[in-house]
Amino acid sequence: MSGVKRRVSEINDLKTDAPSINKKALLDHIENTESENKLALESKDNNNTNGDDDSEEDAEEEQESKTTTATSSRGQNNGTAAQDIHIIRETAELFKSNIFKLQIDELLQQVKLKDSHILKVEKFLHMLHDLIHEVPEWEPKTIAEAESFFKGKVVRIPYVDPKPDPSTTNYKVDYKTPMISLVGSFALKAGIYQPQGSAIDVLLTMPEQLFEKKDFLNFRCLHKRSVYLAYFTHHLGILFKRRKMDEFLQLEYSYFNNDTLLPILKLSCKPQDSHISDYNFHKTKFSINLIIGFPYQIFDSKKLLPNRNCIRVASNEPNQSLPATPLYNFSILSSTTYETYLKYLHKTKKQTESFIQAATLGRLWLQQRGFSSKISHSGSLGGFGTFEFTVLMAALLNGGGNNGNKILLHGFSSYQLFKGVIKYLATMDLCGDGHLQFHSDNQSSSKYVEEGFQIPTLFDKTTKVNILSKMSVSSYEILKKCAQHTLEMLNDVVRDQFANVFLTNISKMDNFRYDLSYDVVLPNGGKTKPEELTNFTFGPTERIKFITLENFLVNKITNVLKFALGDRIHFVDVELVGKKNTFPISKRRANYGTGNLLNFDFVRIKLLVNPSESEKLVTRGPKHSEEPTPEAVHFKNFWGSKSSLRRFKDGSITHCCVWSTSSTEPVISSIVNFALHKHLSEGTRILNDRTKPLQSLLPLPNLPASSKTSVLNLNSFYNLKRSFDDLYRTIFELSLPLSVKSILPVGQAFRYTSLCQPVPFAYSNPDFFQDVVLEFETSPKWPDEIISLEKAKTAFLLKIDEQLQANNSYKTFFTRDESIPYNLDIILLNVLTPEGYGFKFRVLTERDEILYLRAISNAKKDLVPELERTYMKFTSKYVASVRHTRTLETLSHSIPYFSPVVRLFKRWLDAHLLLDHLNEELVELIALKPFVEFSPYSVPGSVENGFLKVLNFLSKWNWKEEPLVLDLVKPNQEPESSSSGEDAQSSEKMTLAQFKGIQTNFQNLRKTDPNGMHVQFFVASKIDPSGILYSNGIPLPIATRLTALSKVAVNLLQTHGFKKQTIDLLFTPALKDYDFVVHLKSPFPLKVSSGVLDSSEFKNLANDKLLNSFPSDTSSLSRRMDPTYQLVKYLNMKYKNSVIFFSHRYMAVNGGEKGDRNVITGLIKPYFKKPQKFKVNMDCNSKPVDEQTVELNKDAIFHEISAFCNELLVKFDID
Amino acid sequence: MVSNGKAVHSMKNGFLVVPFRLPASRFLPGDESKHHYMFVKKHQSKVENEQSCLFVVNIPLLTGLETLKSAFNKVCEQYDTVSHIEDLFYHDEFGLREVDLSSLTSDLLSTGSPEEARFTPRNTALLKFVDEASVNNCWNALRKYSQTDESKSIEWQYTTPSISTLLDFYKPLPKDYLKEDIAEHMSLFEQREQQAQEDVQSSLVDEDGFTLVVGKNTKSLNSIRKKVLNKNPLSKHENKVSPPSAVDKKSRQDFYRFQIRERKKREINQLLVKFKEDQERIKDMKAKKKFNPYT
Repeated sequence: MSGVKRRVSEINDLKTDAPSINKKALLDHIENTESENKLALESKDNNNTNGDDDSEEDAEEEQESKTTTATSSRGQNNGTAAQDIHIIRETAELFKSNIFKLQIDELLQQVKLKDSHILKVEKFLHMLHDLIHEVPEWEPKTIAEAESFFKGKVVRIPYVDPKPDPSTTNYKVDYKTPMISLVGSFALKAGIYQPQGSAIDVLLTMPEQLFEKKDFLNFRCLHKRSVYLAYFTHHLGILFKRRKMDEFLQLEYSYFNNDTLLPILKLSCKPQDSHISDYNFHKTKFSINLIIGFPYQIFDSKKLLPNRNCIRVASNEPNQSLPATPLYNFSILSSTTYETYLKYLHKTKKQTESFIQAATLGRLWLQQRGFSSKISHSGSLGGFGTFEFTVLMAALLNGGGNNGNKILLHGFSSYQLFKGVIKYLATMDLCGDGHLQFHSDNQSSSKYVEEGFQIPTLFDKTTKVNILSKMSVSSYEILKKCAQHTLEMLNDVVRDQFANVFLTNISKMDNFRYDLSYDVVLPNGGKTKPEELTNFTFGPTERIKFITLENFLVNKITNVLKFALGDRIHFVDVELVGKKNTFPISKRRANYGTGNLLNFDFVRIKLLVNPSESEKLVTRGPKHSEEPTPEAVHFKNFWGSKSSLRRFKDGSITHCCVWSTSSTEPVISSIVNFALHKHLSEGTRILNDRTKPLQSLLPLPNLPASSKTSVLNLNSFYNLKRSFDDLYRTIFELSLPLSVKSILPVGQAFRYTSLCQPVPFAYSNPDFFQDVVLEFETSPKWPDEIISLEKAKTAFLLKIDEQLQANNSYKTFFTRDESIPYNLDIILLNVLTPEGYGFKFRVLTERDEILYLRAISNAKKDLVPELERTYMKFTSKYVASVRHTRTLETLSHSIPYFSPVVRLFKRWLDAHLLLDHLNEELVELIALKPFVEFSPYSVPGSVENGFLKVLNFLSKWNWKEEPLVLDLVKPNQEPESSSSGEDAQSSEKMTLAQFKGIQTNFQNLRKTDPNGMHVQFFVASKIDPSGILYSNGIPLPIATRLTALSKVAVNLLQTHGFKKQTIDLLFTPALKDYDFVVHLKSPFPLKVSSGVLDSSEFKNLANDKLLNSFPSDTSSLSRRMDPTYQLVKYLNMKYKNSVIFFSHRYMAVNGGEKGDRNVITGLIKPYFKKPQKFKVNMDCNSKPVDEQTVELNKDAIFHEISAFCNELLVKFDID
Repeated sequence: MVSNGKAVHSMKNGFLVVPFRLPASRFLPGDESKHHYMFVKKHQSKVENEQSCLFVVNIPLLTGLETLKSAFNKVCEQYDTVSHIEDLFYHDEFGLREVDLSSLTSDLLSTGSPEEARFTPRNTALLKFVDEASVNNCWNALRKYSQTDESKSIEWQYTTPSISTLLDFYKPLPKDYLKEDIAEHMSLFEQREQQAQEDVQSSLVDEDGFTLVVGKNTKSLNSIRKKVLNKNPLSKHENKVSPPSAVDKKSRQDFYRFQIRERKKREINQLLVKFKEDQERIKDMKAKKKFNPYT
């Protein structure tokens, strides 16, 4: 490896005066901060505690601390403390915060490469270096001669397409000993540990003498390289064999960075059973890429600029200029510059202390987001890996602003460097409006130029290479979005976002990252010929531009989707599934011999949806005009028969396409179908067996055209609200002894979260009667005793009732309310409106709270917990519900998918018999988590994505140690939103103090209940900092079951995919887990009267079943109610101490086809599974074992249950 | 175990074990040996009302006075004796009355002494007989019954609710009943309140002739609020911060040099403490393997 060593030392020689440069950089910094440098990192504002105003004091303090360090040399103890303080202060400024720095340190430690591994692989590299020199040189040969040389040998020449024709090729191919050097991260010592192993890049530069000046044209140099590589491979194989190293060494061809123009040789090791060779580096998981490069500046770099044509093809029209060949040009030019960039980066590294750490942070950040240096023109994210990140960082260390002012300084900490690059990526446009130019020889400073090439551009003036050539526009857009999101996270002073920035891999499962995805199978799968894709042409000009059909297809699909979907989506990512990038050395190319023409099986389209636009019915095109504009022509051609002219309300006539919504599929699905069929081929199949089955699980309301209504449509809720508004006005107009102060709607339907949509007259639905809280003006006369207070309230309700009776349109009746334990005197006024909705009114007075609190203070100690629970029930029902409803209602308007997601989540919980044990508010808050605390993902833009993220969160939530703190404000996805709006938002956002306060509450709670035996889920927000309001009193088994179920669910989806079969399994309750299962059947099916439509029913049939009136006698309403609910309620009350009962709350949804079935399952508490000492107050149905002990009498309990269920019982299973 | 012969007839603490055979059910495997067991003991109490009572533990589902009467009468019949049951006390099967909110919020409605407001534990009750003779008859019969072979025990008849019973829970309350009930209750309440007011005013005249008119639970909302607000379970876990007093607000914190010095010292100490905490946290997180980017 002497060559490599020499090279590195050369670089060292260049930069012996590094420290002086460092100083200069610092001086620059001082100058720059004074100039109007917008982009430079204000390290001050990262400082989370101290504002700018006390900077003077800071300076003073610093002096003081300096003096203390000076003086403290006498007193040792004092000294270390002062030094500590100095360091702590400094890190707080250089890093986001001390804890952030400590976390970064730990992370960097974690990913360090093992020294022993490096030594092991270096040993091999030295040997390889010597071996390469042993490869015999060759004489110039023609292609035909070269081909005959390989006849009968294992190794094939990995020609790139199109293969040269030996009869017409005149140039000679040859092999002469290459220059060997180590390039890439390993050479820079910036490599990190990766579980899948990392690759070491070794560059073999072909000697200059093998080339002619014009070899860059028409694949010539590429073919020369292919033969060179094959010859080298052949001999290396022989040399390995001679040394018996072929036993463990594996040689494969591979496309470097997935670029089909750049085949390389990949070396890796197989494990050996015995006699493990010293050179076997299998355990280190390294692999070695042998890249064949061209000598620097061998070709005229100007001729290889992105806008030049270097592949000459015969054109039909002789005068037509040939299109540019940017991909080809880049592939050749970049093959000459590996060493140039190694030197450039190495020089920067020497100048910048934290360069490598920052590069590692960048690498991790990119990896977690699925970005790499791989070419993104053939699908997937790419074109921006560690190399591009470090080059950009180096460029920014040398300028980058509009006037060439420095964005990054050499003295920056790793965090500042990393954040600076992220900020640059997030805020500067390198594609549409401008680009960054730099000089890899550091002749002059980097400069941002406001001229965009519509492709991502980071242009090196020295080598004429656009570093970002491998990046497609859509890949760049996603990278920019990631950077913006990360910048926001880094600026977040309230929460610790470290894990979200560096530790969470968001590219692991596409269904988490993207809202929708479709698999596109071409008519003949991988065997499809270009001719079969009837709706476009792939001729010679397309071929030289895109090099491969795969690249062309990816580009085509991306463009078609972008145009077709417009602002319905934020981003699109196209992946070629089944693409191979390595292939045996006995094959010419990756898909050779598979019978496939295309190097992939199918195309996967992944979309990030814009929820506010995704379901609109009309795609509006350009305005209609007499003279067809080019835009109008393009629109019409693109949409064909689908395009039509429409006049809009404002009088304009516009080209547009009209789509129809559906309850089971988003509009996007139909657009994708239409556009791809039209623009690829009619035979294309677009598969997605996830969206429809999942959305069909949302209960469909029995309303006209409900199957054609989008999941985002909230009209059924709005109708209920309108009906309420009328009632509201009527009650306010009544003349009562005390006037009404407020009427506050608190029911689930008011915040769009009820499992079943409101359907008029569907009174069997458990949520039919929506809760309303009524407050009168303050009065000192309310009785100071709880029963009398409730009676007085009822007296007022009776007054309201009396007056409503006079108004003939409303029907009213009274029921007893059991929602507050031990308060048996609460009476509710139920009102049925003429529109067919029901509301139940409860009265809140200013005295209620006092009385419940007084009960706590007067109670004996053993009763206090029960009374506290009662108080919390009261608060959640009467007081907090108002805030909760108001907040969620507002939020729902800005996050459209929340409503369907929370409803689906409720359905899932009810399918698993858990919903009845959880407060609806708690369920809603949990479902809100992926919407308001969405980092590092984006806000869900589809039902499937939202639902999956809810499950994922639950499965990962370690509630013993982590509180769930929600900031219930509109998620801010667009950082560039107008400043005025931002101000309003930031004032609503949770402050650090509030967040800390909530955390303290949690810590204090866990001090008293470290294992979460009493309160498991701590869910807090600004409107409920206590965090326990809705989650107190949940039995431990329910909480653990919820976590376990979500774990199983996520695991199932991860291992078996997210598809119809797994979705069905997801919603099937595991009845085997319970101690007993009671199957019930009610004689009255509830589905129709709950307003739930069977999706399989015919529309006209359903229309007959539309409900249209209430029974004339309100007492007969009860006949269509759910008897099993009462049954389970009383069973739970009776066996409170020993058994927990579960059942479906929504028989209409989970009770079979007709909604007449239910199950009751039970778990016997573990305490009662073994004999107990007989005590009078043990409260369980027991039988004697001996004179002192008893055990749970299961048989008697089962008989009691069976007697209780009586007529409803159909089957009793005992485990 | 009971089924393998060595039946338990009474518990060590004096309870008789009274078995009843479970009725056959269509849905459960039938077996003669399955029983429900009640535990009965003579009740001893000084309370007048609770004389001649049996203390019964583990009463079967939905058992009222009548069911229990007929079952115990059957036992007595077997041994040719009679006993007359009068009432069933404190039987709160579903735990609805475990907490008496009314008496905890006010003493206005409670009747008599606090001892009266008692209840027995869940799943227990007092069975009151007309006289001492009835208790003894029944007790003796039960004792003999508990000694006999379990196979000869009497079959229990469960009370079972029909579907319409369950549905009746949803039925509206009759308005007339409501009105009447409220009128009755409110007049009682007002009467009690009046009484309490008078009691307070007449009794609390001190030496100087001043009358104290503040009851146990005063009626001014604000004063009450202050008293009970610290009982709020929702703020139990909050760190209490006392609001700055008027003196604190007025005085300047940065007037003297020593104040500034102290403040800086405090800040530095806080910084140091926080740093130590952070280090601890990192150590903790490291132990939990929280820094692996590849999980």
